[in-house]
Amino acid sequence: MLFENMNMAFSAIRVNKMRSFLTMLGIIIGIGSVISIVSIGDTMRNLFADLYKDVGVTQAFLCVGYWIDDRRMSDYFMLDDLERVKEVFGDSIAYIDSNMSTGAEAIYQKTTVSFDFTGIDYNYIDVQPVDMIYGRYLNEGDVLGRKKNVVMDVDSAMLLFGTEDAVGQTFRTDLYGNVDEFTVVGVYKKEMNAFQSLMMGGRSDRGSAFVPYTLLTWPNDYFYYLHVFASEDVDLNEFLDQLKAYVANIKGRNPEDMYMETAMEEMSSVDSVMGGLSAAVGGIAAISLLVGGIGIMNIMLVSVTERTREIGIRKSLGAKTRDILIQFLTESAILSACGGIIGIIIGVGLVSGIGMAFGIGVVIRPAVVVMAVSFSAAVGVFFGLYPASKAAKADPIDALRYE
Amino acid sequence: MAEELIRLEDLVKIYDTGAIKVLGLKRINLTINRGEFVAIMGKSGSGKSTLMNILGCLDRPSMGHYYLDGTDVASMTPNELSDIRNKKIGFVFQSFNLISRTSALKNVELPMTYARVGKRARRERALKLLDRVGLLSRAEHLPNELSGGQRQRVAIARALANEPPLILADEPTGNLDTAASEEIMGLFSQLHKEGATVVVVTHEENIAEFTDRIIRFQDGLVISDDRRGGAEGAV
Repeated sequence: MLFENMNMAFSAIRVNKMRSFLTMLGIIIGIGSVISIVSIGDTMRNLFADLYKDVGVTQAFLCVGYWIDDRRMSDYFMLDDLERVKEVFGDSIAYIDSNMSTGAEAIYQKTTVSFDFTGIDYNYIDVQPVDMIYGRYLNEGDVLGRKKNVVMDVDSAMLLFGTEDAVGQTFRTDLYGNVDEFTVVGVYKKEMNAFQSLMMGGRSDRGSAFVPYTLLTWPNDYFYYLHVFASEDVDLNEFLDQLKAYVANIKGRNPEDMYMETAMEEMSSVDSVMGGLSAAVGGIAAISLLVGGIGIMNIMLVSVTERTREIGIRKSLGAKTRDILIQFLTESAILSACGGIIGIIIGVGLVSGIGMAFGIGVVIRPAVVVMAVSFSAAVGVFFGLYPASKAAKADPIDALRYE
Repeated sequence: MAEELIRLEDLVKIYDTGAIKVLGLKRINLTINRGEFVAIMGKSGSGKSTLMNILGCLDRPSMGHYYLDGTDVASMTPNELSDIRNKKIGFVFQSFNLISRTSALKNVELPMTYARVGKRARRERALKLLDRVGLLSRAEHLPNELSGGQRQRVAIARALANEPPLILADEPTGNLDTAASEEIMGLFSQLHKEGATVVVVTHEENIAEFTDRIIRFQDGLVISDDRRGGAEGAV
């Protein structure tokens, strides 16, 4: 019987092709926009998650709070503090530095380029992997010996030296007022997708380079932030709490006086903002599904009126109330589900197309697709209910007499 | 001894139009036996259409009893009546009442679909019935590709689908020319000879001539009931 009903429904839908298509259009647009909006939202969240994974999700910055009234000299960190932290926490810390960076002009022959110098420890490459294409990374000797050696990316090397292989080249720059000669010991390359380079700023006319962090704290050796990457296998929250407590203790402060910024927190707040946004916009798009459903109800009412005589004939031949009800419900459900399926094809196509154009892997959750189809069929059944029950209740004599 | 198929006892139908109540049928008592070929005649407004609707279980009487094939259908619910119409009655209408967007074959299959007959059995029987009314070659044609007479023959095939004990024809020749009318009435005569009970509602004398018994209606009452031509089962 189900098969017969579906056959009847398809034949009724075929008879009024244009009308059926226009009726479906509401559902097509509704489902298409819900799927594309939710998928775009999911894709963005995924991209941000990747971005943070790249930046390092276990990363944290720690200092004595800005709001402290009685700011003391001892609130600043010394390199000794850093060593103590490293010793106490041992393997829990994957990486630690003084989070120092500065901007200065780099001069090579007649070329002058503005550079950002970031102070790092030699094992920074473990937490922020890069591909060394020429020379070597900074090593322990560079850091301990405060060597004026730098590692830069290929774009910066091109900017300053006009060549990618800048290993051995020297340039002059003035960090904190002292003009010094620096030597390039390595050149690296970092692969980024379109979205990452967009978020990271991409190519610019500024260069950037890594220098030993010990150089940037010189000569006073104090600094404001501890920059830590926890190792992957520790409980991040527990570790950060312990770190905060320990550092507060050595600075003679209360843990609540400490200011801590973590990548995890930032990431989850971005994620929840994005999630909320896509849910809200998806919700608005879902309203168009409601409108599509009303369109289906409208056209089913017209269809029931037009086919009053057919209903009469069917009833005279023995169709029960339920038979007629199911026939019209099947019709509106199929109308709606077809619209839903076309909507999915359009939505998925649109999102994949955008993803392909930008070179981004898109996220289309099967659950969203399944929900969209079920929802559109449910819309069809719900909005078909009234017209179908109207049809089913028709009096056979009146229906047969209907012209 | 002839077996009773239809018995009406003190059947009354009142139409309540709100302002006034109209008596459509006034205490009708009538018996039709199995195998009879009956014409119900009367002018419009005589009550013959009302009787037709009640006999066809499309409508319920206001009072009295209607026994069809041994069961009182007067107090059945609409869904029970659907079942009765499906199994006990084959309708033939003036305006054919085929479903226009489906083939002759599908139209003949329809009552069997509602009787939940399997697809294969349904198709086999529908083809047999179309063959019987001489339209096997038109099985896949849509109703609007057929002539009036052909459509009515499809309708007769459909009426026979569930082998109902009663064939009920409401002005079956009203939309047909003389040649087609005679063809259709010939088909009813044939069915009658094979044992079917056929009740034809008509206002045309020459159509009623085909039958064995003519019941005339006027103002909601039976005014004459004539059996002719060697009809059996006279009470």
